[in-house]
Amino acid sequence: MTFIMYLLLFLLILGLVAVASNPSPYFAALGLVLVAGMGCGVLVSHGGPFLSLILFLIYLGGMLVVFAYSAALAAEPYPETWGSRPVIMSVMIYVLGVLLVGGIFWGGWYESSWMSVDELMEFSILRGDMAGVAMMYSSGGLMLIISAWVLLLTLFVVLELTRGLNRGALRAV
Amino acid sequence: MNPLILTILLFALGLGTTITFMSSHWLFAWMGLEINTLAIIPLMTQHHHPRSTEAGTKYFLAQATAAAMLLFASVTNAWLTGQWDILQMSHPLPTTMITLALALKIGLAPLHSWLPEVLQGLDLTTGLILSTWQKLAPFALLLQINPTNPTVLIMLGITSTLVGGWGGLNQTQLRKILAYSSIAHLGWMALILPFYPSLTLLALLTYLIMTLSTFLVFKLNKATNINTLAISWSKTPIITTLTPLLLLSLGGLPPLTGFMPKWFILQELTKQNLPLLATFTALTALLSLYFYLRLSYSMTLTMFPNNLMGTTPWRFFTQSTSLPLALSISMAIALLPLAPAMMALLTP
Repeated sequence: MTFIMYLLLFLLILGLVAVASNPSPYFAALGLVLVAGMGCGVLVSHGGPFLSLILFLIYLGGMLVVFAYSAALAAEPYPETWGSRPVIMSVMIYVLGVLLVGGIFWGGWYESSWMSVDELMEFSILRGDMAGVAMMYSSGGLMLIISAWVLLLTLFVVLELTRGLNRGALRAV
Repeated sequence: MNPLILTILLFALGLGTTITFMSSHWLFAWMGLEINTLAIIPLMTQHHHPRSTEAGTKYFLAQATAAAMLLFASVTNAWLTGQWDILQMSHPLPTTMITLALALKIGLAPLHSWLPEVLQGLDLTTGLILSTWQKLAPFALLLQINPTNPTVLIMLGITSTLVGGWGGLNQTQLRKILAYSSIAHLGWMALILPFYPSLTLLALLTYLIMTLSTFLVFKLNKATNINTLAISWSKTPIITTLTPLLLLSLGGLPPLTGFMPKWFILQELTKQNLPLLATFTALTALLSLYFYLRLSYSMTLTMFPNNLMGTTPWRFFTQSTSLPLALSISMAIALLPLAPAMMALLTP
């Protein structure tokens, strides 16, 4: 587990650097995929399989696909990859920063692995995350109604914003 | 905009603020703030003009950043202390982060720079909603967390009163001036918050009344810059007579309503043995007073040359309803004698 956790955290940081170094959105989406995937892995290893599943399905499966699709549509003639000079410079700087901060806080690591939530082992049915979600919706049934209403409201807002094609608020000028 | 969707959006605006008011849980309060942000964006871009779309985008970015920071801080709070309660914030780190996030939400300097830009892109009705109703929910949260460290709020307050006065000096656009006036007033509220929260409520209440009537006056005159204001004497003479009083009330001159919060806040600061702070804040209010005076000057004390036909639009009956304006402008001018009653109402 320790080795897998190490790998996941390392790739998570690498993905964050890949996004933050400001390449073209098309490539940055790849970095986001890496971050989201590794984040899900970290969550699973830390004992939150339900949260990880939700994050994976909704963030990667729903939002990021649409983002990558629209980033691919916005064709740039000269996209900035991680190889180009300003991007590789910021990659260097961020990696140096990570190493520096890691070096400072190195002593704080203990045994290099995380205990999973509730101190259960890897396989169990009732976890903190699932129990938390169940409790939120059973003792707070109003939350469910309000959340559903907010989602519907978001749909209305998006429709109203994108209504009317070339007359609408969102358009290519 | 379709009346049906307008109803839904206005209802959602009300719902968001109500949820934030009634919640004792950070997640629910955050949800209320998000509903508020979501619901006003279509109202902002309803005229499908590039400026209003730009304003809507800027508003969305600023508010989404603030809301994400608030959520992060409340999750950190739950992680550190195991508490989701708004009233039981004990750790200084999440408290400070939440204070800063709410400061970004209401536009306190140095996190204010989105507010003039956004307000300039909106029409006056949406601007009115933005600078009155949208301030309520963040202030309800700001009043509920007990600041462990008053320095943050004092610094935010001083910077806001200074920037609000300073930034408005060179503006000719009324909505930008109103934005800077909002920043300055919110600075006064943030300044007194660690010492006497009832005075924050009092200042918020009087500010809401005054800015409501200012927006309504400008809307009645269809005025968005100082030049348009100069011919308002030919449109609405009585309003033109009353507006300098309203503007000076915003500036905080006695014996108008706007003097009340400034008076009490300065008195409280002096009582708390902070005379330097009180002097500095009073001096920054002078900067704000300068542009209120300039507005009054060009509106009332000058008679803009006009041809004969242009001087008589006041003879026509106006189509717009003026009852809200009548009520709010009389409150914004003449509420000072009720100061003891208002203090008694707001002091717990």
